[in-house]
Amino acid sequence: MYVLLRQLSRIRRDADISVPKRRISAAMRHVDSGSCNGCEQELEALSNPFYDLQRYGITMVASPRHADILVVTGTVTTRMEGPLRLAYGAMPEPRIVAAIGNCAIGAGVIGEAECLVGDVSMVLPVDIRIPGCPPTPDAIASALLRALGESSTSLPR
Amino acid sequence: MSVITEVAPQHWQSACSALLDQKMRFLGLYASHAEGALALRAMFHEQAEPVALVPGERRDGDGERCRVRPFAEVLCEPDSGYRPGCSSSPFRVLTCSSAEGSFGSIVHRVPAAVWDEREAHDLYGVELKGHEPMRALVAHPAALNDWTVPVTGQGTNQVVVGPIHAGVIESGHFRFHAVGERILNLDLRLFYKHRGLERAAQGASLERAIKIIQRACATDAVSNSLAYAQACEELLGLWPTKALALQRTLLVELERLYSHLNDIGAICAGIGFAPGAMAFSSMKERALRVNHALSGHRYLFDTIAVGHATRLASEKAEAAAEELEALRSDAMRAWREVLFNASVQNRLKGTGTLPRKIAQRLGAVGPAARGSGLKLDARTFSARLCYEGFVPLLPEDPTGDVASRMAARAAELPATFDMLKELLEHVAHPPALLAGTEETAPCSPIGVGVVEGPRGQSVCAVESDGETIERVHLRSGSYANWPSLAYCTAGNLLGDFPLINKSFELCYACVDR
Repeated sequence: MYVLLRQLSRIRRDADISVPKRRISAAMRHVDSGSCNGCEQELEALSNPFYDLQRYGITMVASPRHADILVVTGTVTTRMEGPLRLAYGAMPEPRIVAAIGNCAIGAGVIGEAECLVGDVSMVLPVDIRIPGCPPTPDAIASALLRALGESSTSLPR
Repeated sequence: MSVITEVAPQHWQSACSALLDQKMRFLGLYASHAEGALALRAMFHEQAEPVALVPGERRDGDGERCRVRPFAEVLCEPDSGYRPGCSSSPFRVLTCSSAEGSFGSIVHRVPAAVWDEREAHDLYGVELKGHEPMRALVAHPAALNDWTVPVTGQGTNQVVVGPIHAGVIESGHFRFHAVGERILNLDLRLFYKHRGLERAAQGASLERAIKIIQRACATDAVSNSLAYAQACEELLGLWPTKALALQRTLLVELERLYSHLNDIGAICAGIGFAPGAMAFSSMKERALRVNHALSGHRYLFDTIAVGHATRLASEKAEAAAEELEALRSDAMRAWREVLFNASVQNRLKGTGTLPRKIAQRLGAVGPAARGSGLKLDARTFSARLCYEGFVPLLPEDPTGDVASRMAARAAELPATFDMLKELLEHVAHPPALLAGTEETAPCSPIGVGVVEGPRGQSVCAVESDGETIERVHLRSGSYANWPSLAYCTAGNLLGDFPLINKSFELCYACVDR
């Protein structure tokens, strides 16, 4: 345990993780609507000590009921369209949809037409688009923070 | 070149049985269209049944050295990688076509084929006589009885999870039949993310289709696309030169490294052991950054091509080797902390046990199989890569529980670091060798490629006229392991399922395709 904690404190020191001046409060809920698991890996990486998105006050929550932001990865398959709409419908207003990755924003969709509905904007109103295959954790974090800074008036504080 | 044998429908079962009697191992089965009729193809490879660990044989995770033949020695030899003795393909393909689309089921002889047969039934409408009841796998029928095992009795209840889960996880649906907290049976309903990738690849050129196969799964991108590339090369009659084989071996091991670090951290997260989870997730991040420096992509996308090598940043190889050396020392120290933490190990031991015999019957592969004591690793028959002399590494006490599956991954780390160190020297000082392929064997209509990825062997079969894809089938390590995961969940508590799930760390995307 001691060795692990020492390794972690060394990483935090070397990675030069700053304490943000302003913290926001935003809860994210993730739905995988048909991705290749790449965007999930990078979303999970956001919580590792190198990025630590929580220090900005952005957290992942277990239920769409608790969420301000719906993070959607992947092209929407015909089978995930229903669950995706349900998750969005369960969210309280105001709500934001972030489409993460090229598949979700409709660039470079791969698959057979009859299995796919299309990109996320065919199903839900998309507010934030983050391109990349997969987008790096840096790209996701900075795009989220930028978008939240702009729309902070509509976000619960 | 694979040996392809055509059999009549009435001899399908006996032909499969005959191959198994010759100690061939089942690799996968898929349906295809052939000249207006439906066809089944079964793939096998020549290898004795997996040998169990001899009692008393000691495997020291940290002390185990790389046993692979030194790469420098391999490179010194003249570039005739193709040797008729060792490189005549170890694969056997049985094909069978029937105008009515009706075949005898082999699932009683090969329980590992159960998902393959259900998929062939759902996607191609193949009738498999003797596979009773035929439960839906890819299809999503509304009636519960069409896809679940009926569980009745006093106090039984059902707990339904998914397709959307509580964390950042892929989509899939689990239906637990339980008495109180005790799980009696788990029914899986995956294929929520079915994108029809195999059908989308039909008609595409061999080079274009690798993009589609690669997008089946990010975390197995190298092993899946390499299995595909090897299948294409077998089909075209090409054999990789040593320089190309070395580069591909490097990529496969890089993928294994970050994946194993991720999986050990995920198991720590599964029991709420935050220091372990955070330490290993940061080590995974460091490994991903090495990948990015070398290949330009954190998950090594677009590093495999059919018939030729891709460019690796040789000027970054020395720095990468240094970083991996530091990572090695951190990883092994962190692993010892996890291994000798009694409360962590106590939580993992005896949870989600997959007995060796069941693992063998259900066709478990990769760390899941080795954690159950099966000496099974596709690297032992990867003649197209540089694994000469490779011996599968088993954990010290392979009882098949979560602790063994975790230890199976840790036991492989030193060998992977050793190989990477040596391979990176060759990247830094590239020998004046052609990284490509040489023509060797006559073309065949079906090519098979098998690569040991982080979750087990990826098997890819390609049928083509040499230019466009007629049929491609991908059977990843995750696909092979899902039935074992469902099996070893029974008898455990509901609260342990996330932990058991993490110990397999299976991918949904390459199963759903």
